[in-house]
Amino acid sequence: MLTFYNISKVFNTDILKKSFTALDDVSFNIPEGKIIGFLGANGAGKTTSIKIAMDFIRPSSGTVEFGETLRSNKNTIFDKIGYLPERPFFYPHLTGKDFCYYMGALSGLNRSTINKQIHFWAPRFNIEFALNREIKGYSKGMLQRIGFLVTLLHNPKLIILDEPLAGLDPVGRKELREIIVEVNKQGTTVFFSSHIVSDMEEICHDVVFLKSGRMIFNGSVKSLIDKNTKLENEIRFIHDGQLCVKIISEDKKLAFLNSCLSQNDNIISVKRVQASLEEIFYEV
Amino acid sequence: MRFSLNSLKRVLMISHYTFKEIIKSKILLNTLFLGFAILTITYVALSFTYGEATKISLDFGLGLLTMSSIGIAIFIGVGLLSKEIESRTVYMVISRPVKRHEFIIGKILGLNLVLMLNIAILSVFTYLTYFYIGGVFTSLLIWTIFFIMLESLLVLLLVCLLSLITTQTLTVIISLAVYVTSHGIHTALKTSFTQSQPLLEQLLKILHYILPAFYKLNIKSFLLYQQEIATSYLLGASLHTLFYCLFLVFLCIYVFKTKDLN
Ligand SMILES: Nc1ncnc2c1ncn2[C@@H]1O[C@H](COP(=O)(O)OP(=O)(O)OP(=O)(O)O)[C@@H](O)[C@H]1O
Ligand SMILES: [Mg+2]
Repeated sequence: MLTFYNISKVFNTDILKKSFTALDDVSFNIPEGKIIGFLGANGAGKTTSIKIAMDFIRPSSGTVEFGETLRSNKNTIFDKIGYLPERPFFYPHLTGKDFCYYMGALSGLNRSTINKQIHFWAPRFNIEFALNREIKGYSKGMLQRIGFLVTLLHNPKLIILDEPLAGLDPVGRKELREIIVEVNKQGTTVFFSSHIVSDMEEICHDVVFLKSGRMIFNGSVKSLIDKNTKLENEIRFIHDGQLCVKIISEDKKLAFLNSCLSQNDNIISVKRVQASLEEIFYEV
Repeated sequence: MRFSLNSLKRVLMISHYTFKEIIKSKILLNTLFLGFAILTITYVALSFTYGEATKISLDFGLGLLTMSSIGIAIFIGVGLLSKEIESRTVYMVISRPVKRHEFIIGKILGLNLVLMLNIAILSVFTYLTYFYIGGVFTSLLIWTIFFIMLESLLVLLLVCLLSLITTQTLTVIISLAVYVTSHGIHTALKTSFTQSQPLLEQLLKILHYILPAFYKLNIKSFLLYQQEIATSYLLGASLHTLFYCLFLVFLCIYVFKTKDLN
């Protein structure tokens, strides 16, 4: 659906200063129908990659390719793409509704379709009450919600979201995660960046992991976790009437269990220790 | 660049909402305020001057008109594109099926509409009082307004171009400087001092050709002193300005298309 081929981006902020390589030979593919998380610490290059995908900035080298499904129209692929910038900010004097009309019209929708979409999505985003207010009075979370809403107006085939869950309260995060899963079930491919790892662990099929401008992992969440899980086991057992917990490596597991059994200890559980994505994020 | 009906629709949509956004920022309240200033000054002029009242009211009205439209062109124009980029609102628009040239033309049209409205309101104030106190109609009244419209469009385009390649402060300074210089050079070229210095004269002449010809559009004195002005001059100046505007629009589009929107 969206493929990066060897994308590099070098910023030359000042003629006098050294240039800065924000992205270094990044290649990955967003397969159709999936939810792909875009992971990386602050400054890893997520926003820069997304801006390149959206053609806001041009790569120093490499190409971005969009899949056939986005190309029903020969002029543009942006008919079928929805995009939400990070820390979104919109025209302050327009009302939320006007903003929806504006964005919908640019995507070629007529008024009644837009109204229908607003009617459907506004309650889901809990933003109905503010639709007739000027956007300058919106809170950070409300901006995020109305921004997300307009990315869905034209039923895009691919949505690209730059930190859609940042700045939301836990309830809001959950609601928006559910919406992401729902639109994905209806056939929309989702590509979203975040450094809140638990959000990704829960809903992403695959992740693309950037570190300092380089791609260090691209694959399923599970394989990332497996790859970074040390082969250790947590064994809980009762010894002399007391609950004990022991962490032990795979190769010593059997010997340890045997010794437990020989001492008549009551073994309660043997569990593989799994690093969560969170832990991996900080380790890598 | 391709033009189609849909393309035109998008341009108009962008200008519509640009216009709406600027109007809602209450900029036109200032215009109304200036309108009442014109009425007041005319009233004062009527009671203190003999026979000259029409001239004073016209002079004052047209002066305010020029200043306010140049002011809007510069101070709103400087943020027209750069603020969009700074606050990332431009991303929302061009992530839709909107071409960059459609965006820029729409934005400029939108602000230009505000300028036209400002000029229209103030010319109604100016000319109604002018006729009310006994002024007579000449076709120059229309030409003057038309030239102020051209002048403010020219300033707006210059400001837009500068704002794409430099900072907001520099944009304001440079465009004011160009505006003043264009008027200044024209006067300087006519002085005997300049004419006695061939090198300086050449230099000024070159600048004279490159810079937008704001001086050509200032025909207020002809109107005030009831002098004749050739139609060929009026048409020539209009055409010259329109071509210069077109040139600036293309430059803006070119710069914007190649620019990283960061
Ligand atoms: N216009 C620019 N000029 C110079 N450097 C830039 C520019 N834009 C981004 N960078 C640099 O590129 C790097 C990557 O930035 P980017 O915004 O892509 O990070 P990110 O992964 O989105 O981080 P965050 O999680 O904080 O949003 C940073 O070091 C940043 O300073
Ligand atoms: Mg970012």
